[in-house]
Amino acid sequence: MFLYSLIVTAAFGADPGPLPLIPKSVRFAVIGDNGTGGKEQYEVAQQMEKFRQTTGFDFVLMNGDDIYGGKSPSGVKKKFELPYATLLAAGVKFYATLGNHDDVNERFYKPFNMNERRYYSFKNGNMEFFALDSTYMDAAQVDWLKTQLGQSSAAWKVCFFHHPFYSDGKFHGPDLDLRAQLEPIFQKFNVNVVFTGHEHFYERLTPQNGIYYFIEGSSGELRTHNVKQSPTVGKAFDTDRAFMVVETAGDQMYFEAISRTGEIVDSGKLDRQVPNPPAAK
Amino acid sequence: MNAAYRTLTRLIAASPLLLAWAAPPPVNPDSAITSDFTKRVSEYQSLHRNCESKLPRLKTTGSSAVIDDHQHDLSKSIREARANAKQGDIFTPPICAAFKRLAGLAMQGESGWRVNKSLANSEPIKFKLKVNDAYPPGVPQQSMPPTLLQNLPPLPPELQYRLLGSTLVLMDVKANLVVDLATDIVP
Repeated sequence: MFLYSLIVTAAFGADPGPLPLIPKSVRFAVIGDNGTGGKEQYEVAQQMEKFRQTTGFDFVLMNGDDIYGGKSPSGVKKKFELPYATLLAAGVKFYATLGNHDDVNERFYKPFNMNERRYYSFKNGNMEFFALDSTYMDAAQVDWLKTQLGQSSAAWKVCFFHHPFYSDGKFHGPDLDLRAQLEPIFQKFNVNVVFTGHEHFYERLTPQNGIYYFIEGSSGELRTHNVKQSPTVGKAFDTDRAFMVVETAGDQMYFEAISRTGEIVDSGKLDRQVPNPPAAK
Repeated sequence: MNAAYRTLTRLIAASPLLLAWAAPPPVNPDSAITSDFTKRVSEYQSLHRNCESKLPRLKTTGSSAVIDDHQHDLSKSIREARANAKQGDIFTPPICAAFKRLAGLAMQGESGWRVNKSLANSEPIKFKLKVNDAYPPGVPQQSMPPTLLQNLPPLPPELQYRLLGSTLVLMDVKANLVVDLATDIVP
């Protein structure tokens, strides 16, 4: 029996403005539902480059729907290589997850850093990131996740995937079956933060069962005025495209959600939760 | 008299155990069908691997053209090798019936409510597909609710189940090819 005893001391919205930019911190961006090839995707990418120059983030989490429609070479060029050309040239690494518009073979595409896996993990500083394929959550993937989370000694465990467990979107809403399968695992193994997409807006949920949940699915697509009023909405932005920049230093995580026009529409600081005690032998 | 009565009552009390011992082991009618499905899937997997072995091995590449070409060449090769394939080659009628029962189990009670909610929220789509078709790249995939997925026999990495309304599609995801379809599986 595991006790779940997280102490949530988030100070949402308390630190608007630039991230603290603490030396040796881990800095990354988060995008989702981006691969449209439309002009708005390119405009978001331009803002990402501006923020890279000031914040120095060096990798990007992709929450899925990386390439909409055709995956021909011209399609991949228009929907990924050209919009993010400046970031790629600067050495920024993109870590993709598969959305329901993606092709499983995207895992072979080197710039997505998936190493031929539908689901995988990687480490950076005191963080470990777990990329999941939520379109096809089979038993093998669930077993892999339990093993990897159980072996992880990272201070911050971050999961990112496409379909949100929690969402106040009118169009999709939460994936309850996925939540029932995965959230107990996240709680047992002290997952701190979850990033998802699928909903074409930005939403920061109020912490759910001690876990911080974000939806960022508007880096190319947008579903305007789609977030309904709900007590679980921490902050929502559904009137323009957006992306996130995140910085982690020690036990603090700082985040900013930034619009296509460069406006910071949400920001805050999260304190790392107190982990569960190890299981009794 | 008392001893005979005690013996008789002991025999009566033990009779279910004796009957269970004497009866043949219970047979799960679905297990034979599942074995048949696994065998058919395994045969398809061999065909897939044979076709793929004739192509340059697909490994991580910075060229999306290499990935695109591999998928195209693989699907062409499999289509040619299965030119006469038809619906029901893998999802035979007994397998369809068993899968319908298995899917039905996932749709009961509280988990059934969750699965239904997830299905309703996961871009349900309806269009026609047939064996050896490609899944159209512009069409979203309906995600598979994990509870439903975990009630079905596992598949090798080349294959995935996919839903198209109430139809269960067996997809070769590396070749982007419909291998078989089973209609009216999900209630």
